[in-house]
Amino acid sequence: MLEVKNLSVTFPEGTAVDNISFSMEKGEILAIIGESGSGKSMTSLSIAGLLPHDAAVSGEIVFEGRELLTMSAKERRGIQGKDISMVFQEPMTSLNPVMKIGKQVEEVLVLHTELGREERKQRVLEALTAAGLADPERLYHAYPHQLSGGMRQRVMIAMATVLQPRLMIADEPTTALDKKIQGQILSLLKQINKDRQMGILFISHNLEVVRDFCDRILVMYRGKLVESGTPEEIFHNPKEDYTKKLLASIPDGKRSEGAETGNRKPVLEVKSLNVYYPEKRKQKKQVIFDASFTIYEREMVGLVGESGGGKSSLSKAILGLNKHIEGTIIHHTEYPQMVFQDPYSSLNPAKRIGWILEEPLRIQGKLDKKERKEKVLHMLECVGLEPSYAQRRPRELSGGQRQRIAIALALILESKFIIADEPVSALDVTIQAQILELLKKLKEEFGLSYLFISHDMAVINEMCDRVFRLRDGKLYEEL
Amino acid sequence: MGKSMKKKNTALASGLIISSVLAAAMIIGIFYTPYDPDRMNGAEKFMAPCLQHLMGTDNFGRDIFSRVLEGLKTTFFVAVCVTATGSFFGVLLGAVTGYFGGILDEILMRMNDALAAFPSILLALVFISILGSGKYNIILALGIIFIPSFARIVRGEFIRQKELDYVKSARLQGAGAFRIMFVHILPNILPALLSAVTVGFNNAVLAEAGMSYLGIGVQPPDASLGYMLSEAQGYLFSAPWYALCPGIVIILLILGFSLINEGMGGQHA
Repeated sequence: MLEVKNLSVTFPEGTAVDNISFSMEKGEILAIIGESGSGKSMTSLSIAGLLPHDAAVSGEIVFEGRELLTMSAKERRGIQGKDISMVFQEPMTSLNPVMKIGKQVEEVLVLHTELGREERKQRVLEALTAAGLADPERLYHAYPHQLSGGMRQRVMIAMATVLQPRLMIADEPTTALDKKIQGQILSLLKQINKDRQMGILFISHNLEVVRDFCDRILVMYRGKLVESGTPEEIFHNPKEDYTKKLLASIPDGKRSEGAETGNRKPVLEVKSLNVYYPEKRKQKKQVIFDASFTIYEREMVGLVGESGGGKSSLSKAILGLNKHIEGTIIHHTEYPQMVFQDPYSSLNPAKRIGWILEEPLRIQGKLDKKERKEKVLHMLECVGLEPSYAQRRPRELSGGQRQRIAIALALILESKFIIADEPVSALDVTIQAQILELLKKLKEEFGLSYLFISHDMAVINEMCDRVFRLRDGKLYEEL
Repeated sequence: MGKSMKKKNTALASGLIISSVLAAAMIIGIFYTPYDPDRMNGAEKFMAPCLQHLMGTDNFGRDIFSRVLEGLKTTFFVAVCVTATGSFFGVLLGAVTGYFGGILDEILMRMNDALAAFPSILLALVFISILGSGKYNIILALGIIFIPSFARIVRGEFIRQKELDYVKSARLQGAGAFRIMFVHILPNILPALLSAVTVGFNNAVLAEAGMSYLGIGVQPPDASLGYMLSEAQGYLFSAPWYALCPGIVIILLILGFSLINEGMGGQHA
């Protein structure tokens, strides 16, 4: 059905896709795996005809006997959306915020069919139902902001399937979603694939996600196709080193040794905590209801829950960054710190790394100038970075390096309790494993306790001794 | 992108050249002018530009080139002081309102809006009629009028920056509000501030020239480019160089800074 021959995509800054060839059968689910920058997204965008203007493409893409790259823009538009559709990563931004859901799904029908208004609405309602959305009649008149992330992604899928295309390109469609919803979306896609014989080209950075889902896997690395095969072949008999590395970096999902908490000292006690979110004009929305728990020394406690479920509100409240609270929070350690999710915004972009790391010591007036500098160099060493990084600015560092700096920053005041708020979810999978390793190593070295927030159960299971789950603002301990 | 980058560099380079030539002329003018700018000479009225008088002479036989240098100095001084006053208090006000928000923000920003709602020349007239005219009163009046535009830009930037994680991180380390505002956040808004300063400088040049032209600005014997224009308007046809020379210098002054702003990627034109 789809045949890609010698496809290359080059930009003025370099080559994104380097001479790759593959083919896809009708009704097949093909996954392209690779870390960011491997060229997997550029490959899918060239098939969808959505490459940026400064990209130069060579090679052939033949879809059902027709060459896509040489056809006119008008012919191409006839195929886009109708025979080839696309689902994007970010359900938050890929829907038009000021347009009702019904109208947005209907748009492809207006563009590609001659159906009348009533028939169109009928088709839209059917598509929404098929995408697993309850009460399509109400959704038809809803706006995107009234929907959760998972529901929006279902709307995107409804939009991409309403014309019954032969090929759907799904670019990381589950990456922005919680584990639980990820699974639901994947089984929905599988269902649609079976019912309609629709081929799915599935782009992901996560091998684990596609394991039980796809028929074949292509592994891309730095623009090149390094390996291809069925999931069994890839998982049980990988040939290339890069694939082995990818496999090794999947957290193995085994809960680490349950730790005895009996005679340990507590580092944090939270009693009957209510957290509110201030809305306009003195109104408050309660996001956490009556949460109580204790974290002991040298303990890693996981906190999971759906996005928007109050995980971040809870962590901010614990650290005193949110003043709209009731209840008791007792810290038994000095300077509790936080490692933030986005290493791009958690380091002051205007300052050098050395300055950033010295700042907490300067504020607390602890050491003199020379001692501060020595301490900074020592911390850099602890997180595995060269002393020369002190002279650099955050923008000169990669995401993983920045996260190492953020960890060093959290530890420099010799804090014993750290909240890590999704510390690896913004990072590539190979880097994720390194950062998790570092967090574990530092825990042993410095005797730290963590509250580890994540939506990724595999990561939580690997890292944590105990796990709390937030559901509808209430805290449950998982056993 | 390569193309627009090149365009920006050209703009920046030409802006820097124009502004530095004018700045050099001004600095030279402090120490040396070919003639005493105020010395009248009845025998040399309305001389066209020639080698002795590069820009000709005026209705009192004064050397226009010397007076332009003198006027440039005054205009520069006024504009720099106005921009400095406006940006200093604007940054202070914008930082406090943007960072703290709440009722203080409401009150100060409404006052800011009220100040910004009047045409600046009109407000300046009111201030001058209370304070009296003269170089320092102009600086005071225009400086106050320029505060709102800076305050608004700085406030917007602070609101954007204070939500970023590095600010929360600084709070967790125990940094106080003023340390966060001026040590952590301020360096991050410098690009926006610099752009506002170049635009503010231009507006200050124009406002000073406009007020001096109306006769409520810098008073004789201080020379000012705007005041020269108003003197020259009676002789537009008989001695066009009298008006053209200070006029062109004003245009170059503004063009230079606009090009610098454009080259730096500023948008607040």
